[in-house]
Amino acid sequence: MRKNQSIIGNFDWPLFIGYILLLLMGIGTVYSVAFDPEHPNLFDISEKYGKQIMWLGISLFLGLLVFLIDSDIYRKFSLPIYGFTLSLLIIVLFMPAVNGARAWLGIGSMGIQPAEFAKIGTAILLARYLSTANIKQQSRKTVLIANAIILVPMVLILLQPDAGTFVVFTSFLFVLYREGVSYDPIIIPILNAIPINGIHFKKTWIGTHFIPILFVVIFLSVTTLLLSNSTINIETLGIELAGYWGVFFFLAIISTIGYFFMRMIFSRRDRKRAAIIAIIGFVLSVMLTSVVDLGFQKLAGHQKKRIELVLGLRQDPNGDDYNRNRAMAAVGSGGLLGKGYRNATVSSVQTNHVPESETDFIFCPFAEEWGFAGSLVLVFLYLFMILRIVVIAERQKSSFNRIYAYSVAMILFYHFAINIGMNIEFAPVIGIPLPFFSYGGSSMMSFSMMMFILLKLDSQRKDVLN
Amino acid sequence: MNFDSRKYVFIIIFVLVGILYASKLFYMQVVDDTWKIRAQQIAEKRREITPPRAVVFDRTGKKIVANKTYYNLMMVEKNIKNLDTVAFAKLIGWTKQEVRQRFFDIRKGEGRYYNRHTGKTTSNYQKIRPYPFIKELTAEEMVTIAARLEDFQGFYKEVTSMRNYPYANGANILGYLSEVNQQEIDKDKFYKPGGHIGRSGIERFYEKEFRGVKGIKYIVTSALNNTVGSWENGKYDTTAVQAPPIKLGIDIELQAYGEKLLENKRGCIVAIEPSTGEILALVSSPNYDPNLLVGNRKIRENYPKLLANPDKPLFPRPLASAYMPGSTFKLLQSLIGMQEGVITKESGFPCNKSVVGCHNHPSAQNVTDAVKMSCNPYFYAVTRRIIQQGKKSSSEEDAEYGLGRWAKYMHSFGLGERLGTDITGLKAGNIPDPKYYDKWYGHHHWKFSTIRSISIGQGEVQLTPLHLANMAAIMANRGWYITPHFVKGFGKKGPREEYTIKHKTMVERSNFLPVVEGMRRVVYEAGGTARRARVEGVTVCGKTGTIENYRGPLKLRNHSAFIAFAPMNNPKIAISVFIENAGGGGGTWAAPIASLMIEQYIYGKVKPSPKEKRILDAVLLKKER
Repeated sequence: MRKNQSIIGNFDWPLFIGYILLLLMGIGTVYSVAFDPEHPNLFDISEKYGKQIMWLGISLFLGLLVFLIDSDIYRKFSLPIYGFTLSLLIIVLFMPAVNGARAWLGIGSMGIQPAEFAKIGTAILLARYLSTANIKQQSRKTVLIANAIILVPMVLILLQPDAGTFVVFTSFLFVLYREGVSYDPIIIPILNAIPINGIHFKKTWIGTHFIPILFVVIFLSVTTLLLSNSTINIETLGIELAGYWGVFFFLAIISTIGYFFMRMIFSRRDRKRAAIIAIIGFVLSVMLTSVVDLGFQKLAGHQKKRIELVLGLRQDPNGDDYNRNRAMAAVGSGGLLGKGYRNATVSSVQTNHVPESETDFIFCPFAEEWGFAGSLVLVFLYLFMILRIVVIAERQKSSFNRIYAYSVAMILFYHFAINIGMNIEFAPVIGIPLPFFSYGGSSMMSFSMMMFILLKLDSQRKDVLN
Repeated sequence: MNFDSRKYVFIIIFVLVGILYASKLFYMQVVDDTWKIRAQQIAEKRREITPPRAVVFDRTGKKIVANKTYYNLMMVEKNIKNLDTVAFAKLIGWTKQEVRQRFFDIRKGEGRYYNRHTGKTTSNYQKIRPYPFIKELTAEEMVTIAARLEDFQGFYKEVTSMRNYPYANGANILGYLSEVNQQEIDKDKFYKPGGHIGRSGIERFYEKEFRGVKGIKYIVTSALNNTVGSWENGKYDTTAVQAPPIKLGIDIELQAYGEKLLENKRGCIVAIEPSTGEILALVSSPNYDPNLLVGNRKIRENYPKLLANPDKPLFPRPLASAYMPGSTFKLLQSLIGMQEGVITKESGFPCNKSVVGCHNHPSAQNVTDAVKMSCNPYFYAVTRRIIQQGKKSSSEEDAEYGLGRWAKYMHSFGLGERLGTDITGLKAGNIPDPKYYDKWYGHHHWKFSTIRSISIGQGEVQLTPLHLANMAAIMANRGWYITPHFVKGFGKKGPREEYTIKHKTMVERSNFLPVVEGMRRVVYEAGGTARRARVEGVTVCGKTGTIENYRGPLKLRNHSAFIAFAPMNNPKIAISVFIENAGGGGGTWAAPIASLMIEQYIYGKVKPSPKEKRILDAVLLKKER
């Protein structure tokens, strides 16, 4: 009895309320997009909104089950759970392909996508492994095993193929970074194999911060390619600049913001370090992006075209870039306050100018109907959720809980950043759902379970000692 | 080791991405308009609704140009399922090959589109779009097809509107419509491919007054190009407005009667109301039924035939055919002679056949009798006095001065220039002036004796039947005219301002009176040339013209001309009749035809008479010699 009270008492209401808000907004948007005047009932199971509510009911039921089960079983049965999700990923490869991918287990609209649930399995096993007592963050064994846990489902998912979820799995690498797993055991032997003046590395900055550096490099490269292809036109000043200047100014602004941010969190004696980090970061980024920009210009035509295609850069509104062009038109035409609920003209299912507007491109109808005001609310809500999870993660005594929470935060962040980013030219067009928002049972159930496991672990945080 | 501070790396990344996304969204949604325009391009379509063209009424309020509902048989290829080609071909009365060919032609007609990014060429044809399979089906034709149309998925009917002429008359006045060409589309945004434009007649002249105002409907379309709804609830939509009905001065009964009289004859009738300049009838014979040139199908079928017809039914003779006016021209010579003061109304000249041939009649002692008897030597003498006024030293210089004066007078009658009537295809005819003869003979190398044939309306003088009718109207008005015109009103508005202005000739009213009296005597006195022109109960004033004409050395049958107005006082109708190669004189054919027209107009009907029967039975078409 005392234990139950503590569960209710330690329940994280802000996160739960954010979750519920996103669900309601999501269902509202699905109702708007998929509205069929012949079946206006929100609960009509023959329509997508009816089904979405059914999935929501199932998800809440699963959430309740999660709450009734003792949270210890995730730790204890982490390997069987991981193994189970892997086996599902293997079974799915023998299923008939739908739209060119063997991603669905089950029949028709009632099927599930094992890849969605594999995230939970991977998060749990990763948490279990990295929370092992006396684990050595600097050992080769740790880095290899941790990466293997992530890599095995990734390979299986790539076989489907499902590029979107594949990319999402790289979010776990950030969890390794948070836990201090260093890539030095891999990098140092390589570096030492090259004889430069007999220097013998014992620890490298790159190895230590390998993942965020990799992320920044990839992120900057992609934005450089996306931006340098266009020109910036400032009509009021009569200035027309090459797109690369956009990258340059962007880096300058980010460095400045970063500097002041670091000043805020660094102790007084470290303030000089903040300035040095900001300047070095800026210079390195400029060097990196100009190399990417120049390198891209030097590429042969067909290679260039391939990269442009992958990034969705080719401006052929009726051809390769059809989806993004229409998505951007839908979002951009929303204006400040939007066209009004159920007044989307570009992205409603009736007009169907934006394909997949109820699943992967659901941000389009939402942004078109609610404008910048709505988009801002949504961005802040996701940001709030993600930061709240970080806060939750950091208050855990158990490192298992913390690692799991970071996994959830990163998965959520990846989905948010890629899904919305592909509508605003910040990310390549990769088909992954917007969590709690997009129509679809698998993502709704998997994200809900992920959420409830986190809430349950958090509510029992005081019971655990290690 | 403690890695807790690494949480800041995460927080920084999350917050930065959040700020970045919010800024980009702000830029895209609030600042930049590019995407709003793009969204309109994608989802908003302008549908233009063309109103039916203005209807036309005659002066008595009878509808003479109407619009009729037609149907297009449309098809959407995507919706066509299991088409039974044989049954479908049978239904529309085509062969199986023709149906196949039509599908092929529609696809081909759409042209191809080159995508410069992909380097691919694709057809503009889209399976999801509707295309007309057969255009312009009449209601009767559609009834049989519509009954079974639901057996053929993907086909449906669409309503359109086209011209319809309740009276098969006045084709050359009304003109016809045809599809716009690319030049017209480029020049005027009003026109879209497949639209119609006035191709001739008043439909062409008053194109803007006929076409009305287009309605514009903004709609939201889906990716499949289906209409989903109105844009912003129709806030920007406008309705199509049909142009107000156009009222003509034409009396359709008179027009029809004139066309009946000229059956089997080559010639023209032009009738004008002198006081207003409104054209009452303008007959060109042979002509055609305007209903033959309605819609593409009929134009394709009938136009080449009409064009190939040796009698040129498409040619608007009264406007575009210039003839020598013959003796009708003598009226003007006497008017100018008196006005110039070279003769008086009491001047007499002997009928001296040695200078120019004449028929047997006593010598005219005054202008009035000269007009009655149409004495050639008399008008030869009059014209000589006009041309050679003896004001210059040499007779060549004198002739230059005299002809200059003469031509000026003629132009004040609207002759030798386009009259400015509201129709296309007008001819100016020819009034020779000194410059004209200088070109022929050289400067000062000609005098009256060189150009004497102009005195009796032969030689270089050329007028259209419209000019002749206007001349009759000037006689009726004793000195002025309003430019002859067809349209007397647009809805509640009157005619164009230019058709309300009186043009004064250079001849005073008093000089008209003896000439008009002569015109009366032409019809009513012994020795007059047109006693066949009498109409019971109405005093007709007229003047005949007999035009000799040659093709090379070959003498052809005379043209028969007559101009008249009636009644003598307070005239209601002025008329010119011109019958090509009729034989005889102006009194033989043209005068009786004019009298029948006057009777029809004044009384609204014509009493059957031997005179009418003679005209209706006459076949003058094939004989030129």
